[in-house]
Amino acid sequence: MNRPPTSGPPPEAPRLKSTGLPNDEPQAQLPSQNHPGVSGPPTDFMGGHPILPEDMDIRDLPSNQLYEMNQNLMAESVSTRPLIDQLTPMEVLRAEYENGSRTFVSQIDYLMNKGYRHIWRARGDGDCFYRSLAYAFVLNMLDAPQAEREIVVATALSQLQSCKPMLSQAGFEPIAYDMFYEAFEAVIQSVVSATEEYGLLTSDSLLRIFQDANNSNEIVAFLRLLTSAQIRLNPDEYAAFIIDMEPTQFCNNHVEPLGKEADHIQVSALADAMQIRVQIAYLDGHKANEVDFIDVGNKNSKEPLLLLYRPGHYDILSRKVM
Amino acid sequence: MASISARRLKKELTEINHEGTPTGIKLLSADDFETWFFSIEVLGNTLYQGEVFKLMFRFDGHYPISSPAVQFVVDQTHQAPIHPHVYSNGHICASILGNDWSPVLSVASVCITLQSMLASCKSKERPPDNDRYVAHAPDNPKKTRFHYDVDRV
Repeated sequence: MNRPPTSGPPPEAPRLKSTGLPNDEPQAQLPSQNHPGVSGPPTDFMGGHPILPEDMDIRDLPSNQLYEMNQNLMAESVSTRPLIDQLTPMEVLRAEYENGSRTFVSQIDYLMNKGYRHIWRARGDGDCFYRSLAYAFVLNMLDAPQAEREIVVATALSQLQSCKPMLSQAGFEPIAYDMFYEAFEAVIQSVVSATEEYGLLTSDSLLRIFQDANNSNEIVAFLRLLTSAQIRLNPDEYAAFIIDMEPTQFCNNHVEPLGKEADHIQVSALADAMQIRVQIAYLDGHKANEVDFIDVGNKNSKEPLLLLYRPGHYDILSRKVM
Repeated sequence: MASISARRLKKELTEINHEGTPTGIKLLSADDFETWFFSIEVLGNTLYQGEVFKLMFRFDGHYPISSPAVQFVVDQTHQAPIHPHVYSNGHICASILGNDWSPVLSVASVCITLQSMLASCKSKERPPDNDRYVAHAPDNPKKTRFHYDVDRV
């Protein structure tokens, strides 16, 4: 689920101030900040200190133990779940809540009664929203009737292509996004035409692609840049939802780095950038016997992508079957 | 297909060879896609006038999805700059090398950011926990988890 609280600074944490510094070093080079893009000017960052155990003197710790401690700390934030797991019956999720929250169980029953019988679970590594969305996006094309698939894929590819100028307008260098763009494009293309890398896509090979860390993370990285570009280019639309920092800084710290969770603002920015419709079932324990579906993005799109939200986590919800 | 790190680093190297490195930064060696060395100095009127440092980048196969391991080289001819974020073993505590790393950053942009970090330094001192950290630090700074906090430079 969520990364442990120590893994990231709170959003309101002050940042290294390197703009607007007193100008007492006229010759020193202090390039301007907050410009994205490879080989661009430097990025803001924070300094700090290594995490040492609070209740013991580090000097008493043999170095092998210290090493082990570091390793454990690193490992605990990474689960062993596949990046996207195989189709799982809703009953499995239900069983996990049976000894816990009755409200969650009643909400799961509601979904099952409505015909939502399966989910694909995403690893809780902070990238679950982006990964789930990408998976649902390609899956939707794969599920389209044979006769419509060509047009659905062509539409997606041209939409994707039209996003490219956005990325450079937002200040990203092609070197920063080309590889990621191509990775996503190749997967989408393989829905209708066999590619060298993936052949003709099937639901099995789609799952394998998303379970492969390299393929999967390149696509996640691409969607993160797209989300960032959307916010950078339309700061006024999103600034109201960003607390205590500038939109560019928000993108630097909370959108572009992998492993940083998505809040509503990233969800709507990405849906807007891709002009897709996303429906999110909120399994949040707020209502018994009922689940709210939140509609985000392009309301005219007829086949929304379906995601399941639980506090701090996103999975993919399978289509309704009655 | 070549690993993602090889594909990306090849592009970065081409760019460095064509466009050169930023002022004060020189590529010393990039013999493979695992370890690169740069020299870095801060030009102008700063606390590090006349000092030249050596930076080592180590990449795993997932770069730029994963961050590079970046540190100052400490050997017979090189020292780590004395700076509140730089440990005497060369390890650097900077969030962009940890959980604020993103694939938008590059070898060159990391160099520039570190140069700027040195340029804006107001007092030459080691991090307060330097001795304790250095005594037990892992070889690879990426194996250390840093807590990033308010900057006190």
